[in-house]
Amino acid sequence: MSKKTGTTKNEKLGAFLRRGSVPLMFIVLCAACIPIAGLSPSYLANEVVTRMGRNAFLILSLLIPIMAGMGLNFGMTLGAMAGEIGLILVADWQIVGIPGMVLAMIISIPISILLGFFCGKILNMAKGREMITSYIISYFMNGVYQLVVLYLMGSVIPIKHSSIKLPRGYGIRNTVSLLEMRQKLDNLIPLTIGGVKIPVMTFIVIGLMCLVIVWFRRTKLGQDMRAVGQDMAVARDAGINVERTRILSIIISTVLAGFGMVIYLQNMGNIPTYTAHSQIGMFCIAALLVGGASVDKASIGNVFLGVILFHLMFIVAPRAGAAITGDSMIGEYFRVFVSYAVITVALIMYETNKRRAKSAEGERLRQEQLKEEKKA
Amino acid sequence: MKSKRKLLIRIIAVAVLIGIAAAMFVVGRGHTVYFDNKDLTAADGTEYKAYYKIEVFVGDKSVAKLSAGDRGMVTTMGQDFSMVLHITPTEGGKKVGSAVKLKLPYDMDGIILNLPALLSGAAEEVYQDEFIPAVVEEESEEAVVTDEFAIPTEE
Repeated sequence: MSKKTGTTKNEKLGAFLRRGSVPLMFIVLCAACIPIAGLSPSYLANEVVTRMGRNAFLILSLLIPIMAGMGLNFGMTLGAMAGEIGLILVADWQIVGIPGMVLAMIISIPISILLGFFCGKILNMAKGREMITSYIISYFMNGVYQLVVLYLMGSVIPIKHSSIKLPRGYGIRNTVSLLEMRQKLDNLIPLTIGGVKIPVMTFIVIGLMCLVIVWFRRTKLGQDMRAVGQDMAVARDAGINVERTRILSIIISTVLAGFGMVIYLQNMGNIPTYTAHSQIGMFCIAALLVGGASVDKASIGNVFLGVILFHLMFIVAPRAGAAITGDSMIGEYFRVFVSYAVITVALIMYETNKRRAKSAEGERLRQEQLKEEKKA
Repeated sequence: MKSKRKLLIRIIAVAVLIGIAAAMFVVGRGHTVYFDNKDLTAADGTEYKAYYKIEVFVGDKSVAKLSAGDRGMVTTMGQDFSMVLHITPTEGGKKVGSAVKLKLPYDMDGIILNLPALLSGAAEEVYQDEFIPAVVEEESEEAVVTDEFAIPTEE
């Protein structure tokens, strides 16, 4: 009995270590880098809090497709593009402050729905290969985005201001200023605790989003998504329209990513027109994985732990690299290497676990068959 | 019946969103207001002389301290604009306060207000003008960078 308990304990510990290996590794790395970087605690706290406000909403948008068993939605880039288009138009119309943000979000909704529907349709054709498909879709759509922003804006879509338009008369400049919108949401309720600036309103919005996700999980659609995520065949037999449910999960994720991008860029105060969205998916996914999520399981807790650890690494790695080697780029290279490595490890672990589960299921069936043969 | 209800809810949701967007258009319209404390001669020949000093307060914040011939600016949101002016008409003169409320035209990004004309009760077309930024000829076309590897699409 005691042996059995011991095995269970070991198994539990093993499972915990497997699940928490990535966050644990990052905790160790951060703990090692923080003293070397020599940054003050208040600076670190300020940076982490700012980055949490900036990124958390975007990362939350990844949770719903994971719930529906569609893995990490690299297609969130599409929503980010929609958010950027909304912001470019709003900047040209000179709608500023919070109303500008709200308007940009509203403009992004139909674009996100359209792109999400398109993405969901394609992902339904590529079941089991959602992540790589959505990753490639984001590249494909980046081309369409460039066509719209670089050639259609100013020529077909009216753009009035020369500060936004390229000197040739059409296309958008590399950077669009959002000075009149910069940190308007963050500073709506000003609060500073111990020298740390808290973006209260942004956190309220993020908190509301968390509540919506918790509520959504309990709705009929949320339950359907979970059922589809667990087993598509069983869900279909239970009368759930699997394809529709999957498309809806991608649409919701894309719309939320569009909102998240507006929040992200209002914090930054400018839009790097052609590059802002290109890395956003990768960094959000890396942050979620660093928080202990996997391809098939993610929670709100993973989002916040991931943002803290991943961005702490962002802040301390270049300084630690500079302190150790004299070159801050070494730390930067290390951080980029770790970000991509985390995604790679997560994908390998997911695939390994899937195969292990499959072989365990096969083994179980074989044993049952043997038992039946013996009985016969 | 159920599908009709669903459709109705969707139509209401879209209408609400359009309504909010329209409200944001009006409420969030940004303007840059320029304050001129300059001499002005109106089309009918009336002359408005600049004051010695004017301090402009918008939302309890001092945004410009203008000597004669100066220009100040502030960015605002919405069409209702109010400011408080602390005017010193002549050197060593007594400071006089004046609260001004204006409706800004929606279609103008930059609005120039000639304060001496405004304070003298001149007509809107006299004290108000559109600010049109000078067109700066850019020497070369901006190289557009469309990827993170910073490869420009054109020279």
